[in-house]
Amino acid sequence: MSLIVLNGITKIFNRGRPDEFTALSDVSLEIEPRGLAVFKGPSGSGKTTLLSIVGCMAKPSAGRVLVKGREVTSLPDRFLTDIRRHTFGFIFQQLHLVRGISALENVILPAYPSGERLASLRERGVRLLDLLGLSHRADTNVEWLSGGEAQRVAIARALINEPAIVIADEPTAHLDTKLSLDFMAAMERLKAEGKTILFASHDPLVYESAMVDRVLEMRDGRIVAERRAS
Amino acid sequence: MNWIDKQRNIVDFALSSLLRRWRKNLALLCVYTFVVFIVASVVFFAEALKREATLVLEGAPDVVVQRLIAGRHDLISRGHMEKLERITGVSDVKGRLWAYYFEPSVGANYTLVVTEEAAGRPGTVAIGAGVSRTLQAGQGDLIAFRGHDGAYVSLEVARVFPSSSELVSADLVEISEEDFRALFGLPEGIYTDLTLRVRNPKETVVVADKIRRLLPDTRPILREEVLRTYEALFDWRGGIVLAIFAGAALAFIIFAWDKATSLTLEERREIGILKAVGWETSEVIVMKSWEGIVISLTAFLLGLVLAYVHVFFTSGTLFEPVLKGWAVLYPRFQPVPFIDPYQVATLFFLTVVPYTVATVIPSWGAATIDPDTIMRQ
Amino acid sequence: MRLRKSSAFIVFTLINVTGLALLFAHGALERQRQAPVLSEKKIMVERFGLTDLCLFTDARYTRNPAVADRSTPFQDNPLSLDYFPSGSILPPPPHLRAHELDR
Repeated sequence: MSLIVLNGITKIFNRGRPDEFTALSDVSLEIEPRGLAVFKGPSGSGKTTLLSIVGCMAKPSAGRVLVKGREVTSLPDRFLTDIRRHTFGFIFQQLHLVRGISALENVILPAYPSGERLASLRERGVRLLDLLGLSHRADTNVEWLSGGEAQRVAIARALINEPAIVIADEPTAHLDTKLSLDFMAAMERLKAEGKTILFASHDPLVYESAMVDRVLEMRDGRIVAERRAS
Repeated sequence: MNWIDKQRNIVDFALSSLLRRWRKNLALLCVYTFVVFIVASVVFFAEALKREATLVLEGAPDVVVQRLIAGRHDLISRGHMEKLERITGVSDVKGRLWAYYFEPSVGANYTLVVTEEAAGRPGTVAIGAGVSRTLQAGQGDLIAFRGHDGAYVSLEVARVFPSSSELVSADLVEISEEDFRALFGLPEGIYTDLTLRVRNPKETVVVADKIRRLLPDTRPILREEVLRTYEALFDWRGGIVLAIFAGAALAFIIFAWDKATSLTLEERREIGILKAVGWETSEVIVMKSWEGIVISLTAFLLGLVLAYVHVFFTSGTLFEPVLKGWAVLYPRFQPVPFIDPYQVATLFFLTVVPYTVATVIPSWGAATIDPDTIMRQ
Repeated sequence: MRLRKSSAFIVFTLINVTGLALLFAHGALERQRQAPVLSEKKIMVERFGLTDLCLFTDARYTRNPAVADRSTPFQDNPLSLDYFPSGSILPPPPHLRAHELDR
């Protein structure tokens, strides 16, 4: 069974206004569990919009989205948030870490409302940071972290609720080659654990990587080509 | 247990949020605490005075009968006393002798009162602590009073009333009848006004009615009316209290308005991030409420503590210049802590609820938008 | 073990609440302590036949508002301003405002 099914997804911004803009146009696809898929294409092709719809961050203007066989398109905010919290881990292009608090606090922030005891949350958070080689920076405020360190905090944060699907939007945009390779290595480990990984990227280092199972090329809000690794 | 842990986690984040803008929030807290302090001080002070008045003035005469001629308060004679004695239910009709005395050298007003006890010590007076202060006169000193004929009469201070009684006695000068009549040139049988007792307390209004009809040039004043006079003390309708409360309300509104109409870009972004990482709208709202509660609850508690100390340990020193006004003689007194719990509860709700609501409302809009929007910023 | 922010806040609030409770307890004790003093004042009021607290000694009708009549304030100079702030703290007594029967 497919993990995620998108059926005829269309997304129009500013509908009815002079700056109306169609980001996605009748996109349909199925995402199977496990594996790493990359959405490639120039900016404005709709990659970010597609990822945010897949990750239940936005509702499509038309079409249906099914997660684990269950339709989520018309779910009220409460249920959608629940799904978002437990199924997806999102790594934003701009990272979007909360300034003024430590790396560890940022990592465990998504889990605060679960009511889990702080001590146990911190323990899990530290373990995640450790996996990414950042446990020594756990109590540093994020403003003081380097680009690569912040990137890893964002990854750890995406993993705190143990999601099945990890989504990253232009993950290597602010990273140099070494850090990009480190990032891909971290993703490989997650893939090995059985997680499903989705990227949006126009970085060849990402979409030409050996660990990519599927590349979907997008242009003008549509999927125009698809290549699967053999 | 789970719910408590969840709240504690959320409070942790709310506190982080507040600390991030600690300068602004500290200023807000200070202003808010000050506002609560002022309002609570006025409330405590007024309540304490009112209760004391109610307790102490229970000793006031049942009825005071005053004579009014041509719109002016005039002296009353024995003839009137005799007529009153004949009213059924009335007992113990006495003439009261008291007068205002203005001492030009210090610009103070005193109240001279005649008592039976003082008759045993002619040539002496007992004075209140305020009189003693303004004249710098203590036991054994002589005070010169200017009589109606321009001549000065010297009277010796037999004792000074204790400081603890200043609220009733600060400006009093207890004098014998003999000296009083000599000083003011009042012949026998003339009094300032009359007091009487009514045997059945339920009959006072009826008796007052009878008095009015029997002696049309007089005005009876009942003890209940005396007590009600002091219920209106510090009434919020009075100019100064209204000004203070209006000022406090204005200060609060300005700050709440500032909070309510603007979420900084940073705050907006944070709410977006929270939604994006999986916080529900309700949880974001709870977090914002805690931000509001932390500040307003702290302001309330600190303000109240400070107000209590101000009113009951320092006798409301900040109010002294306000209360003193033009008077030269002002009683020094320590209000007794009478506190009305309803007032405290009202203050609590007025302090915490509107502020918390003002903090939550702007966030409501931000918390309900799709987290997708944050990805576009 | 580091102190959680929420714990710090709880502790701080509890300290304040305790402080407030102690002050109120002090109030209760003080009321008891002052009870005899209040009695003394009441006795003094009886002895002198007083009708007012000695709060505002600037004018007759602020010193004895309970027995003030309507015309006394008029006896001040027509140009004189209301005694301030006593005039605004202590409004005219209710029995003057409510009725002054057929006068």
